[in-house]
Amino acid sequence: MIEEKTVILRTEHLKAFYLLEVHGTQKTVKAVNDVDIQIYENEIYGIAGESGCGKTTLLKTLFGEIVPPLRLIDGKIFYRIDDDEVDVSRMKSEAKRKLRMEYISYIPQGSMSVFNPVLKIKGTFADFIGSHVHGQSRAEIFELARERILELGLPKNVLDVYPHQLSGGMRQRVTIALAASLNPRIMIGDEPTTALDVVVQRGVIQMLKDIQKNLKNTIVLVTHDMGVHANIADRIGIMYAGKLIEEATTEKIFAQPLHPYTQFLINSLPKFGDKSMRDSVPGSPPSLADLPTGCPFHPRCPHVKDICRQEMPNFHHLDENHKVACWLVGEA
Amino acid sequence: MNFIKRYLIPRLISYFLVIWLGITIVFFIPRLIPNDPVIKMVDQMRARGSTLEPGTMDGIIHDLTVMYGLEGSTLEQYRDFWVRLAHGDLGVSFFQFPAPVSDLIATALPWTLGLLLTTTAISWVFGNIIGGLAGYYTRRSWSRTLDAVAMVIRPMPYYIFSFVLLLLFTYVWRWFPVTGGASLGALPEFTWGYIKDVLWHSFLPGLSLSALGMAVNFQVMKLLVQNINAEDYVQYARLGGVTNTRIVSKYIIRNALLPQITGLALSFGQIFSGALITEIVFGYPGVGMLLYRAIINGDYNLIMGITMLSIVGITTAMLIVDLAYPLLDPRVRYT
Repeated sequence: MIEEKTVILRTEHLKAFYLLEVHGTQKTVKAVNDVDIQIYENEIYGIAGESGCGKTTLLKTLFGEIVPPLRLIDGKIFYRIDDDEVDVSRMKSEAKRKLRMEYISYIPQGSMSVFNPVLKIKGTFADFIGSHVHGQSRAEIFELARERILELGLPKNVLDVYPHQLSGGMRQRVTIALAASLNPRIMIGDEPTTALDVVVQRGVIQMLKDIQKNLKNTIVLVTHDMGVHANIADRIGIMYAGKLIEEATTEKIFAQPLHPYTQFLINSLPKFGDKSMRDSVPGSPPSLADLPTGCPFHPRCPHVKDICRQEMPNFHHLDENHKVACWLVGEA
Repeated sequence: MNFIKRYLIPRLISYFLVIWLGITIVFFIPRLIPNDPVIKMVDQMRARGSTLEPGTMDGIIHDLTVMYGLEGSTLEQYRDFWVRLAHGDLGVSFFQFPAPVSDLIATALPWTLGLLLTTTAISWVFGNIIGGLAGYYTRRSWSRTLDAVAMVIRPMPYYIFSFVLLLLFTYVWRWFPVTGGASLGALPEFTWGYIKDVLWHSFLPGLSLSALGMAVNFQVMKLLVQNINAEDYVQYARLGGVTNTRIVSKYIIRNALLPQITGLALSFGQIFSGALITEIVFGYPGVGMLLYRAIINGDYNLIMGITMLSIVGITTAMLIVDLAYPLLDPRVRYT
């Protein structure tokens, strides 16, 4: 499968920290700590990692939505728009606002409070679409929304109800339909499958896959559920403590995980026929406000060496698609 | 139709039940106090030195008892009370005998309404606007300054705050009158001069009420806006590139105002009981002042009349809020 791949979304040494003042002392939460990722056109890229490892913050920075206490400390974010690379971190907020929905759209977790509780779903559609498409009447926007909803196999009356009248799965699918409604080039999902039971989860995953197939766009999906990644992602990046530590195609990650943390994540999945106890990662993730020296995983790593405590390893590229940052691999 | 049967009728029944219960309690409590207003009146007459023959005295006691509505057992009085009330008769005041209670209230009510409607409206409108802005721009220094000011004003007891105003503005700098609702001897008339006089007199009580009310509304609204600003649906709208005007008006303000509207309706309901402490401190001739004097003098009928007004005011406000809420918040439905 040699094909020319175009990078659509790229970060360079991205560092975004929360600068907090707690009881008079400055605290720095290093939520995104020197992340370089490249995401291609027409792929589904999964970002995996435990809770509190900076996944959601990474998504926010990818949107250029950096509001205090979150600060962009260093690095750049590029979108590829019409064959031009645009540095989002330097864009004005109105320009960034215009890109949303039309170029890059967001799929939130379909929680109870994801929609404005006093608006009907069509009101939310009208606000989101009407903020970008000009010169269209409300009726035309509703028509567009209705088409989208039917295309994606949702019942058309979802537009006429209030958010609290929808089930969790339906709310989640409405967020996806909304994100897809202006045919964006990039869709970014923040745990869109998390609060759903597996049957509904399957429907949501299928819906995302179908949309991606139709629009040939890029989906970035954040979830801690490796099972979901296995089902949907083309490539997976593993995050730990605000850093990307391993990245490979989905097959490689599952077949040949190299970082001890990735190995733990994969081994904790249940397998058919294997009734042995699943090992979980020992210990808990470090506080992003007080990171250990060297490789942030070393306090939990069973293969820890002296150098791990002193220095963060660089990426070792096994091949074009597989890179890992661990002293056990390559550089050792 | 379902709404009427399942919600409206039970709600109206409870509305009248609460009013009846409230009035009944207010009827019996003063009568349980060992303090006979007839004897008190007679004692007052005696204290003034009027000596009467025992026969005449008995006649007076009897007449007073009838006029006060204190004939017979308490239960008979209770029955007669409802009969009189059905005819719109609240009885006569004891201490401003023989003025009817309804007349006294009718004289005091415009003062209270004028003062409290204005201050409630001012403190709600400005408290919410400033609080909303401060909650939205919560990291700005002016927002923190305002928050600190509200923090100082709000917990201050009414009487302290009023006394400070009174001391400063009527004694240290003699800008405003010490007491009263208008200048002594000024006749109520619809002229600019009289209106100016009334406004001048009500400035300090109005200021004390609005400042405190504004501080409360400010703090509540600031907190509401801060919380809603962090809600998922606001964050989502931002990431969906919804224009800021829409986010602020339809997402933040719309949701923050829901509880505030309830608060406003309830404070309008409370207006009828007057602003007791403020009116006493500033000698303002409103319902609060009337109630204060009624309590001091053991004036059952007057206490009764004012309390009844306030019971009806608050329960009606609550009824209106309950009935209007589904129009404001789609999550509330009575089916």
